[in-house]
Amino acid sequence: MLSKIWKNRLEFYPFLCMYLFWFLGSFVSSLRVENRPGIVALGLITIPSLTLITIAAVKTYKELLLTGDTNE
Amino acid sequence: MKENSPATVFMSSDKEFDKKFAFVAYGLLILIILFSTYLHYYQPQVLNVPSNVDVSTWKNPSFEHTCIYGRMTEAEKAKIRSEGIPGNTIPEILFMEIFALFVAWLCFSHARKHYGIWMASCFLIGSFVFTGLQESAWILFGRFTGRSAMQGLGEAVYGTYWFTKGGLWFIETPVSVCLGWFYLAYSCVWIAGKAFTKKSLLWRAAVGGLIAMGLDLWTDPVVTSPELMSWVWATGDFIRVLGIPQTNFVGWFLLIFCFAFLWEWLPGWEEKWGRAKATNNFFLILVGMDIVVLVFQVPWCFILRSILVLAGVDHGLLIPQGW
Repeated sequence: MLSKIWKNRLEFYPFLCMYLFWFLGSFVSSLRVENRPGIVALGLITIPSLTLITIAAVKTYKELLLTGDTNE
Repeated sequence: MKENSPATVFMSSDKEFDKKFAFVAYGLLILIILFSTYLHYYQPQVLNVPSNVDVSTWKNPSFEHTCIYGRMTEAEKAKIRSEGIPGNTIPEILFMEIFALFVAWLCFSHARKHYGIWMASCFLIGSFVFTGLQESAWILFGRFTGRSAMQGLGEAVYGTYWFTKGGLWFIETPVSVCLGWFYLAYSCVWIAGKAFTKKSLLWRAAVGGLIAMGLDLWTDPVVTSPELMSWVWATGDFIRVLGIPQTNFVGWFLLIFCFAFLWEWLPGWEEKWGRAKATNNFFLILVGMDIVVLVFQVPWCFILRSILVLAGVDHGLLIPQGW
């Protein structure tokens, strides 16, 4: 699975971008915020967006399984 | 381009035109960035750039008229007054710029593979300019007039907002923010297309805008907190969600929604007018759309305010209360 993803990594760049933005831009930054109880838990508000991103990433992987590698 | 399959069409290349277009478009963009950056750091009086060190010099809004002021403890206010904007260091700014460049490069590679260099460049430069102009117009309007798109409800309006941190600037918007708009818009619309393969362009553009807005509901309260203060909002909006004016979330949605439409119409325009004319018209319409989105905020805020007044609300709403 991982080698398949690595071989076709370019197909996953939009998902990687969103996960990176979410992780560094929001999650890591929220850990730096003191005196705001609940700011980290507020991240739960992004669950719908994260779910859609993950669904799209899984669909992309399944398409690759059907169609073969795209970067060859 | 087939309306329900945004990811499948690779635009043929017209090497001669693509080369000229890239030279002119990227060249102009670099010149504007260099000039804006020079103005921001070496001639800050021209655009009234607020000081990151001495917050007592802020006008439109003053420090006391920012959204964050009311949510700060006395100790936090004293710290900002004595030390200025937190995290305004070269390593932190450099990290932001490199991160934005890296992520934008990932998206650009993906776009180039799926749509070709011309479409990918139109997305990159188009979204960069579209959002950079929009943000800068909004920032400068607030800064120079002390007004916004709305009339306050129970409190005066003191301007709009501005960005405090950035390395390179496009007018008054950090380049990292403009690149952020590019990779967010591209990824969100792509993801919406993947998740809902058979849906129309309208649906994909709307879902793309909503994905971005959903992420921003967390990002904005975090990065505008007293510990980071990456941008600063003026008070005056009659609805604040998690301490952020509602106009911000409307803006996030509209920018991605409108840009997705314009960009997906581009292949059709190329077929109709040829690549050169399609490119010219794309950028002209982009600027026109920028003005429309800006002006839209006026009736939007008027209607929203009228509904609140009719409902008996006499002061700005904070959602949730006490945030």
